[in-house]
Amino acid sequence: MAVNYNAKEEADGHPSGVGAPGGAGKSRKPDNTAFKQQRLPAWQPILTAGTVLPAFFIIGLIFIPIGIGIFVTSNNIREYEIDYTGTDSYSPCNKCLNVSWNSTSPCTCTINFTLDQPFETNVFMYYGLSNFYQNHRRYVKSRDDSQLNGDNSSLLNPSKECEPYSTSEGKPIAPCGAIANSMFNDTLELFRIDNETRIPITLNKKGIAWWTDKNVKFRNPSGNTNNLTALFQGTTKPVNWPKPVYMLDSETDNNGFINEDFIVWMRTAALPTFRKLYRLIERENNLQPTLQAGKYSLDITYNYPVHSFDGRKRMILSTISWMGGKNPFLGIAYITVGSICFFLGVVLLVIHHKYGNRNTSADIPN
Amino acid sequence: MTLSFFLSQCAGEENWVDNRTIYVGHREPPSGTEAYIPQRYPDNRIVSSKYTFWNFVPKNLFEQFRRIANFYFLIIFLVQLIIDTPTSPVTSGLPLFFVITVTAIKQGYEDWLRHKADNAMNQCPVHFIRHGKLVRKQSRKLRVGDIVMVKEDETFPCDLIFLSSSRGDGTCFVTTASLDGESSHKTYYAVQDTKAFHNEQDIDALHATIECEQPQPDLYKFVGRINVYHDRNEPIARPLGSENLLLRGATLKNTERIFGVAIYTGMETKMALNYQSKSQKRSAVEKSMNVFLIVYLCILISKALINTALKYVWQSDPFRDEPWYNQKTESERKRNLILRAFTDFLAFMVLFNYIIPVSMYVTVEMQKFLGSYFLTWDEEMFDEDTGEGPLVNTSDLNEELGQVEYVFTDKTGTLTENNMEFIECCIEGHVYIPHVICNGQILHDCTGIDMIDSSPGGSGKEREELFFRALCLCHTVQVKEDDNIDGLKKAQLSGRSCVYISSSPDEVALVEGIQRLGYTYLRLKDNFMEILNPKNDIERFELLEMLSFDSVRRRMSVIVRSVAGDIFLFCKGADSSIFPRVTEGKIDQIRSRVERNAVEGLRTLCVAYKKFTRKEYDSVCKLLQNAKLALHDREKKLAEAYEQIEKDLILLGATAVEDQLQEKAADTIEALQKAGIKVWVLTGDKMETAAATCYACKLFRRNTQLLELTTKKIEEQSLHDVLFDLSKTVLKHSGSLTRDNFSGLSTDMQDYGLIIDGAALSLIMKPREDGSSGNYRERFLEICRNCSAVLCCRMAPLQKAQIVKLIKLSKEHPITLAIGDGANDVSMILEAHVGIGITGKEGRQAARNSDYAIPKFKHLKKMLLVHGHFYYVRISELVQYFFYKVG
Repeated sequence: MAVNYNAKEEADGHPSGVGAPGGAGKSRKPDNTAFKQQRLPAWQPILTAGTVLPAFFIIGLIFIPIGIGIFVTSNNIREYEIDYTGTDSYSPCNKCLNVSWNSTSPCTCTINFTLDQPFETNVFMYYGLSNFYQNHRRYVKSRDDSQLNGDNSSLLNPSKECEPYSTSEGKPIAPCGAIANSMFNDTLELFRIDNETRIPITLNKKGIAWWTDKNVKFRNPSGNTNNLTALFQGTTKPVNWPKPVYMLDSETDNNGFINEDFIVWMRTAALPTFRKLYRLIERENNLQPTLQAGKYSLDITYNYPVHSFDGRKRMILSTISWMGGKNPFLGIAYITVGSICFFLGVVLLVIHHKYGNRNTSADIPN
Repeated sequence: MTLSFFLSQCAGEENWVDNRTIYVGHREPPSGTEAYIPQRYPDNRIVSSKYTFWNFVPKNLFEQFRRIANFYFLIIFLVQLIIDTPTSPVTSGLPLFFVITVTAIKQGYEDWLRHKADNAMNQCPVHFIRHGKLVRKQSRKLRVGDIVMVKEDETFPCDLIFLSSSRGDGTCFVTTASLDGESSHKTYYAVQDTKAFHNEQDIDALHATIECEQPQPDLYKFVGRINVYHDRNEPIARPLGSENLLLRGATLKNTERIFGVAIYTGMETKMALNYQSKSQKRSAVEKSMNVFLIVYLCILISKALINTALKYVWQSDPFRDEPWYNQKTESERKRNLILRAFTDFLAFMVLFNYIIPVSMYVTVEMQKFLGSYFLTWDEEMFDEDTGEGPLVNTSDLNEELGQVEYVFTDKTGTLTENNMEFIECCIEGHVYIPHVICNGQILHDCTGIDMIDSSPGGSGKEREELFFRALCLCHTVQVKEDDNIDGLKKAQLSGRSCVYISSSPDEVALVEGIQRLGYTYLRLKDNFMEILNPKNDIERFELLEMLSFDSVRRRMSVIVRSVAGDIFLFCKGADSSIFPRVTEGKIDQIRSRVERNAVEGLRTLCVAYKKFTRKEYDSVCKLLQNAKLALHDREKKLAEAYEQIEKDLILLGATAVEDQLQEKAADTIEALQKAGIKVWVLTGDKMETAAATCYACKLFRRNTQLLELTTKKIEEQSLHDVLFDLSKTVLKHSGSLTRDNFSGLSTDMQDYGLIIDGAALSLIMKPREDGSSGNYRERFLEICRNCSAVLCCRMAPLQKAQIVKLIKLSKEHPITLAIGDGANDVSMILEAHVGIGITGKEGRQAARNSDYAIPKFKHLKKMLLVHGHFYYVRISELVQYFFYKVG
């Protein structure tokens, strides 16, 4: 932005200062205002022992209780994690390790585990993947949001971004792109083993996606939503999917693009190790905990191959608190900072008390 | 002198390409004279606008993208458009286009205003002479060679050669306020042979050609020649100088109308040539900012390179490069590895480009521009007397004000008021003080003067009268006239209430002082100078020649003829330039008086005369005529002629004029010195006067030990020895100083002041054959560094700039500031890091060329110590914050 001082005087055709001094009219004397004379009040803190020491103590005294509170809350959260990748040879899922996309018969395995402590409140069931780069630039872009939003023309003409997952066998893929193509498709079922009997635990598959995603961002193609098959006419399923998108679920409001498992998957993770919400386990009555301590078994329909990229698959059960999932770091950080401040306060107080008044002439001038 | 001889002589010695020939009134010269190659001249259109309707968009865009910040943005934007980028091009394109558009609109509006002003100027009516009739036309249709009539209070439409005026004596008065700011009326002279042409028909009958140099921007220099053809006779050649040239932009005053012939038109006028902007100064902060930016650019590039390399290392595992869930397209697989790596590199560049704080340039510029208003708003820096505040010509240097280490100041008009008061004169050793005169009686003040000839005898009386006449005649003062000149003449004579105007305040003071001593200068009429002597008689002297003042000769002379027919040369000038040319007179007494006055801080001038015989005068006349007719090197030839004429003078006496210190000058200098700023005074004045001023303004104190490096000392010893001695004194002291500091309180610190004069400086600066000049220069610099104050006297304007440059380029690279008020300070103002002009009495040339202009010297204190400090603190915080923000 070129700031041109001479613009005006050049416009006049005269150099500056032609104006006769003391000419007619008002004086050119500048205004005597606080702003123009740079007399606006200003405050600049001067750090002295009198201000610094209390500040340290106050920060310490505030941070330590906050940290303790957060830490205790985090510790009260129950969390249980099982790695079911099956890389170890003794693992029940080892047989499924080299499962591939086009195997016709599903590979199933069962893992038994024991919960030592009951899970009192609602339990969230997650699946976790490791070494899976959902944040890869090529991967993140590989989707067509207008197709997912139910745009009919995009349904048949997927965006170029979806390449090389936009067409298959001459037909447009719905939903197109690498993200949709690689959707997680293991099926997890949970049973409580009570006296050798397996009692299935109700896994709620609705309410796991964001409201805005479910209702705004993702929509089935417009038309008669009761007949999704007709709506998706002319498209084909993603290459890796066993069945088309309109057969993801039996319920109409959880089928097609608005299938919640699909929506959850489409929200890509920022780090290569991540977990995504799979199911909800709601507390049935107030007398019993949601999951009692005891033996459980997890039935896995093992479809998703991760071994090729050294990936890991986990199943996580967790409760939550007001501050979210289990996160001991925040509390520890608060406690550490608070303690350091308090400690420094004490040290400085001692120094000030011992040496502070020795040389009064060393005061800061001004 | 025949024309053929003339031309052959000129053609032999001059390069004709640098000249132009103009046919006055477009009349071809009589056949038989040399045929000139017709030249094409631009029309009289003034174009101050930068753009036209058609070239606005491309030219403006080009100008804007020449700025490094905009260009960088553009490159990033283009890269984003071309390659597959992580960030959208909109994120960098939108702000860029916003900035570009806003700037373009602003510049377009300014240019539109300029177009409007240009049109108004180009279309204003001008009176031409066409076939003996007066024609009105638009100014832009004026051509070189047209004869133009200008009326009183009109502005000259182009550069004109003054042919004739309505005033009988062929003069006119002009004010050049809009050109150089000097509001005094200046007298211009019509060409002798044409000044009688008073009406359109006469002028149209004029048959002449003008040869002159091609246009040059110097307002005060012009050489040319007019050849006037009378019937079939040989043409008469007359010299033309700047006194015949009326400049575009100046205004005609006190003269009913004039005729002139256009020689430079449109963009070739001296005013237009002076519009060219001066070289840009850049502040130290900006330079270091650029260094930082280069460092950051290197960081950015290396970051992008490292990241690209790491990317390929990470991808070397095929499961990572292309896992089953994230396959590449065919075209991606086929792409050349190098091309892929390059686009990856560019992508990383784009990704990390925020590390270069591009917005910083815009922000810093805005901050400086807005911040500079605090300077102009400052109430304490507003001068009530002149009604002017500080002027900021460039805000780029705001923060330099806070870093100044050396202040170079002019003396006259900067430290002192330049408000002259005639104090005394000394004739033949007798001292006259006008204040003592009560009733026109002259009292002799003889104290302190060794009077040999106490009774003013016959010759003494004669000398005294000559002295007063000399002062009355040897000057360039004009008498300001009222509208009805003739009506007021009598009143003026009786009341003696003339107002004198001159570009030099010394002269006004002298003429006024002499008036109090009984001799009144009345006016210059028809080349006759009239003075009123104490007996109320009017004496008339014919002004034969005027050898005008220049700063090299430091003197001026007039040659006059008295009514009795005696021809006198009166010479007035600085003592150093008069004494060597004097052969007679009471030199010793006058010299002692002059020195005494100089010590008291008075400005002294010496007056001498010489009587010519008729024969001598004729030879002098011829000498001058020859020099004046030269087209090339006229200056040099004139100077040589003057040198020959002004010799063997008889000394009459000396005058002393006081120049008061500016208010609070001493206070300001003291404050600057306390702040650790070294103050140097550079003046053209003589050593004693300058030293006295330095004492008065506390640059030198009582305990300052003065070291002299002057011509006188160098005559005694060799330069080498003098320098060696001085540096020994200074260095021994500085060595003991450090010890003193360790041992505790050293009460009376010995500080040194150095006095150097122009001649000694040129000796130091002069490159030697054996290459030892560098050594002298270094030693001189070392001495200067150890002196608390330095006074450089007898400086030519270019030497001032030389000194500034010497310090500027010394190895510490200190920030220098030059402050001055006159045209002689312009060179140092332009040379220093920060140039400050004082909007004083010597015109506005300094203020126009400066970076900042202030009304008074005392304002420098607040400007440097308050505003400069603030600016420096603010800009450094801003820049550091920017780098912190991105880093």
